[in-house]
Amino acid sequence: METCGSCRTFAENAREAVRALRAISIAAERSLVSTTQMRVRRRALELQRQSERRWLVSVSCIAVTLCALLSAAALWRGFEWLGARAQLAPLIWQVGFFVFCVTPALVAGVLLLARDTHLADHTGSYEG
Amino acid sequence: MNATACYCENSMTQESTEIARGLRRRDPDLLDRLIEQYQHRLLRYLVYLTGRRELAEDLFQETWIRVLERGHQFNDKYAFSTWLFAVARNLTIDHMRRSQPASLDGLLNDDEAPIDIPATGQASAFDMTLQREQNEQIVAGMQHLPAEYREALVLRFQEGMSLEEIAGVARVPLGTVKSRIYRGLSALEPWLKGAAL
Repeated sequence: METCGSCRTFAENAREAVRALRAISIAAERSLVSTTQMRVRRRALELQRQSERRWLVSVSCIAVTLCALLSAAALWRGFEWLGARAQLAPLIWQVGFFVFCVTPALVAGVLLLARDTHLADHTGSYEG
Repeated sequence: MNATACYCENSMTQESTEIARGLRRRDPDLLDRLIEQYQHRLLRYLVYLTGRRELAEDLFQETWIRVLERGHQFNDKYAFSTWLFAVARNLTIDHMRRSQPASLDGLLNDDEAPIDIPATGQASAFDMTLQREQNEQIVAGMQHLPAEYREALVLRFQEGMSLEEIAGVARVPLGTVKSRIYRGLSALEPWLKGAAL
């Protein structure tokens, strides 16, 4: 540094630039900080509600799956017993069991579709 | 000396651990405290990065929302400020990509209004005027620098970050950070001379 004039000049200029840079100040306004805090709190609340809902849905899904498994096993036995009593071919009571299991979901699907069509007709949101 | 350094490092790690724990819980009180603590530093960084105060304020709010949402990703091995600035930087890049398909280079626009930075000081009126003029020159110089250089200079000399921390924020090698600082300071030289005239 002592022997290099340009290095010395650069160092001095750099020092000056750094000093000038440090002298500049930017401050956040109070309103910005309070608005941000409010937005963050609101979002935190939303996220908390979402996670609670997700937890509830997960628990419900698990419970429904367990119940479905248990009831399917019991129903299978029931259909098997009925088939034996009525002396039906296994394929018939098995199809009966399948239809019995699938019907509620099909009915719910049809009802939901019907409701959507009904709503679309009355609100006009799906009008072409 | 070593004991002091060790104590500082331990207390920083402990603080980072506490912050990480609070962020995982999405503790609103902790976030309030962090917003208060980092308000000026974060806004200053964003103002220099974007060159626009209004945009910087919008991104300031978005950054804290992102901190809340992604708080679980904060690794307590690093300083919180490094992660915070990296989040702000990524949001800024995302914003610029949405408004114009570019990287941080897109933030350099000579035609835009100068960075609005009120200078502060407690010296005499003459000193203040002189200082203000010099600050204005430096601010003007900063505006003409590529955003990467601007970012490196702000993080190094205004935020007092180490070179390693800057490399962490900008996700570039240490050598790149050094060269950006060197080139940034070199590029500011003519503006500094202009201020001295």
